[in-house]
Amino acid sequence: MQQNTLAQRQQCDREDADLLRRIQRADQRALATLYDRYAPVFYPFGLRITGSHEVAEDVVHDVFLHVWEKGNSYSPQSGSVYAWLIATCRTKALEKTRATNQKRKGSNADGSQQQAAMVSEEKQSGQEIILAFKGYTEEVRNSLKNLSKLELRLLELSYYEGQSQSDLARMLRIPLGTIKAKMRRGIQKLRQASAQEGKQP
Amino acid sequence: MKTEERHAQHELCIPYVFGRLNPGNRKQFEAHLETGCEQCKRELSDLYEATALLPLLLKQEAPPSGLRQRLFSRLSTKRTEQPRGAKPAPTPQREAVEAPVTKAPPHSWYLYASMVMGALMIVGLLLFLNDQLRTTSELEKKLSDLQVQVQQKQDILGILQAYSVEMLQLVSVEAGSEASGKIFWEPEKRRAVLQVVNLPAQPVDKQYQLWLMKDKKYFRVSEFDVNTEKSNVFAVMTLPVGDKKEIEEFAITLEPRGGSTQPSGVIQLRGATK
Repeated sequence: MQQNTLAQRQQCDREDADLLRRIQRADQRALATLYDRYAPVFYPFGLRITGSHEVAEDVVHDVFLHVWEKGNSYSPQSGSVYAWLIATCRTKALEKTRATNQKRKGSNADGSQQQAAMVSEEKQSGQEIILAFKGYTEEVRNSLKNLSKLELRLLELSYYEGQSQSDLARMLRIPLGTIKAKMRRGIQKLRQASAQEGKQP
Repeated sequence: MKTEERHAQHELCIPYVFGRLNPGNRKQFEAHLETGCEQCKRELSDLYEATALLPLLLKQEAPPSGLRQRLFSRLSTKRTEQPRGAKPAPTPQREAVEAPVTKAPPHSWYLYASMVMGALMIVGLLLFLNDQLRTTSELEKKLSDLQVQVQQKQDILGILQAYSVEMLQLVSVEAGSEASGKIFWEPEKRRAVLQVVNLPAQPVDKQYQLWLMKDKKYFRVSEFDVNTEKSNVFAVMTLPVGDKKEIEEFAITLEPRGGSTQPSGVIQLRGATK
C-alpha cells in the first residue's frame, strides 16, 4: 500500500507542478483545477484553525489569490506544491485568527457569468485530477491509522492551534516529558507516512 | 559554525515548523538557514511534507459555490487592470530620423489644462463607480450568505414551531462526561433537529451516528461530525418513524467513518422515550 501511496503522491505532485507552471502563465483554467482539487481540503483546514466559516472562506480565497499572484515564489527545492500550499493556508489562517476581533477583510465580486462558464469547463476536464487526489487522500488516511488517539490530538492542538508543549502538558494534565515523547512519536509516524519516508523499504 | 551549534539549530526545526519559536529564536534560526545549512533545509522540507498530511485527515468539504465565482471575478478584474504574465506590449521602435519638431501653437496651455481637468474628472468618476460597485458586491455576498443562514434557521424553526413537536433529552452513559443532547422532531413529517453539547471531536476515521430504536431494533438515522464549537446543531434529519409510541430510544454511537448498518461502537448519548 505504501508503494501505491507513493505512486499516487508522485502523480499528484507532477500534476500540481504542471498546474502551477500553467498558472504562472496566467492560465485561469489551471487555477480552477487546482481550486477544485484543494479547496475542499483548505476550507475545513481554515475552519479548523479559525473556527469561522466566513473567515475560512476568506482564507481559501486569499490562498488561491496568492497562488495566482505569487505562484513564482514557489521553489521545488523546498518541497511539493501541496506542502507549499498547505503552509500558505496555515499562515493565512493563523494571521486571520490573530486578527479575529479586527474588521474582516472585504471581498470583491462582480458576478461575472462569463468567467464562471469558462472555469466550469475546466471543472469537467479536471475531474480526473481531483479524483486522483481523493484516492491519495484515502491512502494517507489509512496509513495514518497507526497514530494513537493522544498522538493525533497533540499534533492537532499543536498544528492547528499553535499550543506549546508546556501548554499542552498543563491543559491535558500530562507530564511534559510524556507530551514531548508522544509528539516526537507522532511526528515520526507522520514522516513515515509522507512520500519521503515511503521511499524507504 | 561549530558542529555542536549546527546540531543545536537542527533541534529547532520542529518548533519552527509548528510556529512555536519566540521571535528572537525564530530570527536566529532563519539567519542560520540563510547560511545554507542543507541538513536543516532537508529536515524542514521533510517536516513540511509530513505535517501537510494532517489536514488530509479532516473531513473534506467544498466551500460555498459563491467563493469560486468571487475568486475568479477578482482575477478577471485584476487582469483587466494589468495583464499578468503577459509580456508588456512592445514599445514602438524610435524612428531613426527624429520627427520634425513642431512649435506649440499659441495658447496651448488652455488645451493642456482642459485635458488635465478632463482626466481628473474621469479618474474621480471611475473611483466613485469602483467604490459603488465594490460596496454593492460586498452587500450581495453578505446577502447571499445570510439567505443560506436564514434558510437553515427557517428549516430548524419549521420543526421547532410545528403544531406538534416532540423533544427528548439525550444523556451521556459515561460517568463524569459533560456531553448531552436534545432531539426535536415533528412526528407527522418525521423531520428532526439534533443538538449535541460537549461531545468530544471524533477521531479522524470515525463519525458519530444517530440511531432510533423501534421494536428493540436500531435503525440508522444519520451520521454527523462535531466541530470544535461547544454546541452543534444538525438539521434536518429524516426519521424512519415519527410516532413517539413507536420510538423506544434514540442513541448516538461512534462508528467507522461512513456509518454502520448496526451500532458497533459504545453508546455515547442515549434517551429513552419510556
